Amino acid sequence: MEGKIVVVTSGKGGVGKTTVTASLGAALALQGKRVAVVDMDIGLRNLDVVMGLENRIIFNIVDVVQGKCKLKQATIKDRRINNLYLIPASQSDEKDTIKPENMKWLCNKLKKEFDFTLLDCPAGIEQGFKNSIEAADEAIVVCMPEISSVRDADRVIGLLYSRSITPKLIVNRIIPKMVERGDMLSHQDVVDVLSIELLGLVETDENIVVSANTGLPVVMQKDSKAGKSFIEIAMRMNGHPDLPIEDPTAPRSLWKKLSGKISRKSKVQIS
Amino acid sequence: MSDQVNPPVRLKGVGDRLWITFDATLPLEELKKEINRPFERLNQLAINARIILDAGEQGADATIINELGGYLKEKFHVGKVTGPPEKPQQDETHKRAGDLSNAWHNHRSEALIIAGRVRSGQKIQAEKHLVIMGDLNPGAEAIAGGDIIILGTLLGTAIAGQPDNESAIIMAMDFRPTQIQIGGLAAAGDASTGNKGKTPEFAKIEQNKIMVMDYNTENPFKRLAWPEVR
Repeated sequence: MEGKIVVVTSGKGGVGKTTVTASLGAALALQGKRVAVVDMDIGLRNLDVVMGLENRIIFNIVDVVQGKCKLKQATIKDRRINNLYLIPASQSDEKDTIKPENMKWLCNKLKKEFDFTLLDCPAGIEQGFKNSIEAADEAIVVCMPEISSVRDADRVIGLLYSRSITPKLIVNRIIPKMVERGDMLSHQDVVDVLSIELLGLVETDENIVVSANTGLPVVMQKDSKAGKSFIEIAMRMNGHPDLPIEDPTAPRSLWKKLSGKISRKSKVQIS
Repeated sequence: MSDQVNPPVRLKGVGDRLWITFDATLPLEELKKEINRPFERLNQLAINARIILDAGEQGADATIINELGGYLKEKFHVGKVTGPPEKPQQDETHKRAGDLSNAWHNHRSEALIIAGRVRSGQKIQAEKHLVIMGDLNPGAEAIAGGDIIILGTLLGTAIAGQPDNESAIIMAMDFRPTQIQIGGLAAAGDASTGNKGKTPEFAKIEQNKIMVMDYNTENPFKRLAWPEVR
């Protein structure tokens, strides 16, 4: 059976596409799937750093497309997680070095090798975005609960629909205290405007910064709320679509807080 | 030359009849002379033809029509001669009676009605009225020659009454626009004073200003005595 090509996109920059790609890639691989994460941000690559693989890059996606190396040679295996592979972007080329037809060819190859291929789309809706969505089967739109992010996500959703790709939504970097005070849009506000299927809610988490600096995936950090959310999102993508979505802004009683902690720990141990 | 351009007697075929328009201010004898010209050219085509004699806006009394009719029957053997058919009455009562029966069925709609969500970067343009059964998201634009009615949430930019129809309105179930324009006037939306109660509101021009009002209490069409086509 062929794997799925999933593009992670947002329109706006800095909302956490790369973090989401790396975390979901790690979570899916931990759940036993063969996963490739592809950095599509040619000229401004980041995914390799977030995954802690920057010192192992020899070939990149542009080399594969230009026939300078084989796909296998550009694919870097993760040190910690089996079944997780990175195809890095080139840091020196231009975005239009790759054409949509190159992506079709590459994605066809990737589909045969991997269960999930996650494409980390660059910000914007120009060539890099067009290349990324060319061969995508599914799309994940990452959005922060702020007006500019929602507007850009909405634009991207329109463009994805025009290519007959039905996107799903991850609301990232929710700060429950600010939502409670009314200083931040709630995830309901975001879903109201974007009106697409919600895949998950991710709270702001200091562990993400630590993860990006150390290369240790957030899904492997035991106390990370964000890590827990990503594990659940990966489960929803991986055969458990009805797994309930926990609302990080919902008021919690002391008992729930306590039981929440216990269950969180046990879940991490399972993974 | 000017006589040739605008002759006192003109003839054209309307359906199965010949429609003669004549200048009733001319004396009868002269009219007969003028009417000869087109009929002589018609030759036998005029025989048994049904004729309508029309004196135009000035009108002509029945005697002139009878006189001319008799003359044409005698000389060119035409068929039935009548005056112009009376135009249907256009007074208000008649119109309203029509409205009650079936006049609406004959009215060709000039509204563009679309269903669905208009997203950021998308632009909907309608020549006259625009009805969106769905939401208009921030960053999306709706432009209409007439009214814009949104059966949903208005969050984007709505531009009604283009280019200069100042009687146009913009209405939405949940009215929280980024900006609205009616005719040549524009108003910026204000998120802080936005409608949180989700009551339908509408905007219209009043004293050269765009005013936003509650549709339930200020409905501008409630006071119209009779339904009108907008």
